[in-house]
Amino acid sequence: MTTSTPNSSWVNFLRQYGPIPSNDNMYDETIQRIVKKKGIEPILIEAPYLAELIENFNSENPKSIILTGTAGDGKTYHSRETWYELGGTFEQWEESGNIKKISIHYGKTLYVIKDLSELAPEERDILILFAQCIKGKRADVLFLIAANDGQLLEALKQVDEDDDAKGILNIIEDMMVTDLPEHPRFDLRLYNLSRISAAWALPRVIEAVTAHDGWRECDHCVFRDHHDVELRCPIWENKKRLEGEQANSVLRTRLIDLLELCEINGVHLPIRQLLLLVSNMILGHPEARDRLLRCQEIPNIIEKRTTAKASIYRNIFGENLPERRRESTAVFETLGRFGIGNETSNKIDNILIFGEDDPELKNNYQELMLSDTYYGADYTYKIHQKEYLEGISEDEGANFLQLVRSQRQRLFFSIPEGRVDEFKLWELTTFHYAGEFLTKVYRTIQQGGRASSQVISRLVKGLNRISTGLLTKTLDKLILATSGSHSQARLSKIFESSISVMRDRGESVQIKADSNGKINIEVSLSSSPSIPAVKLYLHLIRYEFLSRVAEGALPGSFSRECYEDILAFKSRLLKQLERRKVEDGENEYFDDSMSLHILKLNAEGNIDKKTVEVLY
Amino acid sequence: MRAVLERPAKIDSDMWVDEAIWGHRLYDEQTPWLCFMEFLNVLNAEMHAARALKETSPNTLSYSPQQRLYLRNILFNNPRMRVIEREFRNDNHAQWEKWIETMGADSAGIQTPNFSYLQSRFSSFEDFIDVVEFLSSSTIEGENNKRWSSLFIFPFGPDCLYEDLNVKGTNISQDRRFFARTGELLYLMLARSGKGEELLKHFEDRILNNDSKFNRLVSAIQPDVELSHSSSIKREGAYLPYLDLPEYKAIAEDWIRLFECNIPTYDVIPHLINVMGIHMLIYSLNRAKEVLGQSDKATFVLEIVSPKKTVVRELSADSFYENNLLSRSAVERYIRQVSETNEWQSAINSNELLECRDILKKKFEWPKKSKEDDYDFDSPQELLNALLENAINRHNQHLNKFHNVWSREIGLSSRRGSRRYRYAPQDLLIKSLVLCVVPSRMEFQDFLEELFLKYGFIIGDKQASSYINSGRADQEAFSENASRLEQRLSSMGLLKRLSDGCAYVENPFASREELNND
Repeated sequence: MTTSTPNSSWVNFLRQYGPIPSNDNMYDETIQRIVKKKGIEPILIEAPYLAELIENFNSENPKSIILTGTAGDGKTYHSRETWYELGGTFEQWEESGNIKKISIHYGKTLYVIKDLSELAPEERDILILFAQCIKGKRADVLFLIAANDGQLLEALKQVDEDDDAKGILNIIEDMMVTDLPEHPRFDLRLYNLSRISAAWALPRVIEAVTAHDGWRECDHCVFRDHHDVELRCPIWENKKRLEGEQANSVLRTRLIDLLELCEINGVHLPIRQLLLLVSNMILGHPEARDRLLRCQEIPNIIEKRTTAKASIYRNIFGENLPERRRESTAVFETLGRFGIGNETSNKIDNILIFGEDDPELKNNYQELMLSDTYYGADYTYKIHQKEYLEGISEDEGANFLQLVRSQRQRLFFSIPEGRVDEFKLWELTTFHYAGEFLTKVYRTIQQGGRASSQVISRLVKGLNRISTGLLTKTLDKLILATSGSHSQARLSKIFESSISVMRDRGESVQIKADSNGKINIEVSLSSSPSIPAVKLYLHLIRYEFLSRVAEGALPGSFSRECYEDILAFKSRLLKQLERRKVEDGENEYFDDSMSLHILKLNAEGNIDKKTVEVLY
Repeated sequence: MRAVLERPAKIDSDMWVDEAIWGHRLYDEQTPWLCFMEFLNVLNAEMHAARALKETSPNTLSYSPQQRLYLRNILFNNPRMRVIEREFRNDNHAQWEKWIETMGADSAGIQTPNFSYLQSRFSSFEDFIDVVEFLSSSTIEGENNKRWSSLFIFPFGPDCLYEDLNVKGTNISQDRRFFARTGELLYLMLARSGKGEELLKHFEDRILNNDSKFNRLVSAIQPDVELSHSSSIKREGAYLPYLDLPEYKAIAEDWIRLFECNIPTYDVIPHLINVMGIHMLIYSLNRAKEVLGQSDKATFVLEIVSPKKTVVRELSADSFYENNLLSRSAVERYIRQVSETNEWQSAINSNELLECRDILKKKFEWPKKSKEDDYDFDSPQELLNALLENAINRHNQHLNKFHNVWSREIGLSSRRGSRRYRYAPQDLLIKSLVLCVVPSRMEFQDFLEELFLKYGFIIGDKQASSYINSGRADQEAFSENASRLEQRLSSMGLLKRLSDGCAYVENPFASREELNND
């Protein structure tokens, strides 16, 4: 072993971003101090709204601005950078006091409130000034307020009794809940930094970290790219894998896929969580102090042959952390929902377990496992595999199966794009249809394309099965049926109408993006403008649910929630159908007779209806 | 103590203890659905008598429910229908003939049964079967093992309502097996809520509407004689002990809120039942607490189900257990109170056993005249103990189980993942609560507070302060419990999240909202 123990202050700095007990770098305020003290270049991610903010405050008719967002979205960062750009200094910003004042163009004074939660009670009056300002009663002042939504509303509640401030609470609440960025009547703009998508930010975070100057400290380290693979430093290895060979590494693409799917499901991950993720991906190791590697621990880890436990693919899911810590960290909890590692796939598992000896799997084994001697089929893996197959392992294979689990995680992030279908990559996740949903539906439509008719047919079949309770194969029309009683009833056998999937006299079933870029199933019942289409927001969970129902394999793990969602959608469709009937004058009934249509499945599994007439 | 209304002149039961505290009566075997059905029967009958939800003098309810034995025989006592259809396949005439003959012989409860009116109403026997099978598929509470005369069709409208009966041959008796008057109590509560008129309008529009499609379908299989309202029978004897309680108004207001939501027609019913169930539980616990002299309102620690065992689960199970004991303790206390009266003391002092018995008789209607001889005791204490034992035994049979059965039936309690029952609300119940509490949208923390104020539900840390301050739980345990609720509401599409701990609960059926987007 080497005599000089490596020690990089950059690695120690990066460690501060990770999931350590006191991760000080979670806060912009603290980073600034360390940066000043240690002379380390900060990790800089561009502030996407900065230019707009500056432009606003420099314009002739500027508006006050509220920056909201989750902790870690960059509220303080945005306001500080704005402060500098408008001529404020570091010293002024660092002075105590939460309310900063600066003169800007056209003789106006800008108040910047750094952190609303720290506003002292006697400072509350500033909010009354703010209210006057956005109501246009004070043309000489402007505001830039950083606050998370809860704090802001809480603070506004305190001044809601004041005559000048009355009503602004409701206005701002409305803007927040309805995602309204600008109010037509008040001089106010709302920037929700939580709209910065993680898929946009992740490549930037990775770039900022991997291209950081601090890595130069590794230049002379013996463990960096050691010619003996077993003596290589996992930190450097992880950093290299994260950078990727080309700009588009599989690892990065897959991770962005996952984050984008989370976002479609409505889970937002702020930049601070992405920094935490990246730090953990590079430095995670279950046996390191605080579970994040320091340079001085590397020799020991290499000696103990546990470098594989620093695998970046495990660290993505926070596998280096104790369970409780992992579950309480937003990014790991979110990524954990994909079940990668726990979900089994016959195809992959066979290769992982039997690939070594099975001639049919040998090539795949070579390609997926032997090609990666560092995190793939390393020494430890091979030993455990052998023991497992020969039935001589002391723990009945438990240890080996843990390694298999890690390998599934690695493969999810390394099977090349062109082989995704062949290896059924997405079966390694809880969502077998996620890949299809993302590439063939979500992104295709975002780019102005259309979902294939196969996809629509499958979703329609799923919808029909749920809304009738019958195991139908009907897929060319959407069946609207009721149970007669309430919609919680499992079976709905009274036919009300059917909607053609193909465009036909105003009827159609399509998948479309709305003005916010959300993807919906849109069912149009009529070409009449007074009967707008009924929409169902199509996120991953619903897509998976409907697809699995259509294919006849629904795992119990899908709770009732999707089912309820679909029933609620059906209620809205029935309501719209009622309107159409009124419009078409079809809603009258006769005193002396009535007819109803009862659904039946025919021998082919398609839905038929039988009309029954009753006379009085 | 609250003023208690005079008890009925004639009392059939063995004693008047449970009834004195809770009314005549809360009954475990009458599930919330059946309570609602009985209530609809009362309401519909009183609508015909033009005095619905009006009580001129307390506890004089006398109403005429319908029996609809043709309808019930066709739907629930008609096992041969399919067999006959197959036996005479392709011969519509023979099918009808055979079936009418069979029903003439096999139906029960009808003096001179004649089902021939049906033939002219349907174009074929098969159509008739389809209608019958469809209607019987909407039996409430689904498939169950109850006798056919205790099965009920979904309340599509007034023509679907009839009372629970015991039918043996042509003999009909009302044994109050499943319509055990809990629905009558509910009716009286609402009549005393001060909101009767408003409620009535909603019922007339939404549920007791003759013209609704499926009500008409149900009427199509009944003979004309069953379709005209009959006032030949009278049901009496309902007793609700208190003239005015905040709980009465609370049920009525929640029901009105539900009706005012833009919920598709019959979908409102499960929510009405859930919320009514909660209020009946609160009513039962609060009455017990009053007897016990506890001035605080009933509370419930709700665990929002977590995959792992938590402190909140323990506390929730404790809270369930404590509430479950209340009614029995109340019965004990109620009876023992008599020994503190001067009357009793002086009877003891004068060593007059007969006088003691008379006191018990006066106060508790016990023992019955016919059973006086069964109780031959040496001391007043023994006599009192005998009453106590009798009363507890009687209480244990039904009322003591009310809390357990009803909380489970409405999805408030469960034993999932645990050996003990606890309060762990199901999704549908949570949705009912949102519809009742949230007019259109409400900040999540306010929602939790509102649930506490209205129903005594303890979910978040702010509401759990008594548990946290006494060291039985830490704040984190309850705030995690609240965030599990937040998560669940969000996945049910009932919550909109803003940043960091700020979220709004949204009522998807808020009347001003357009329902075109979720």
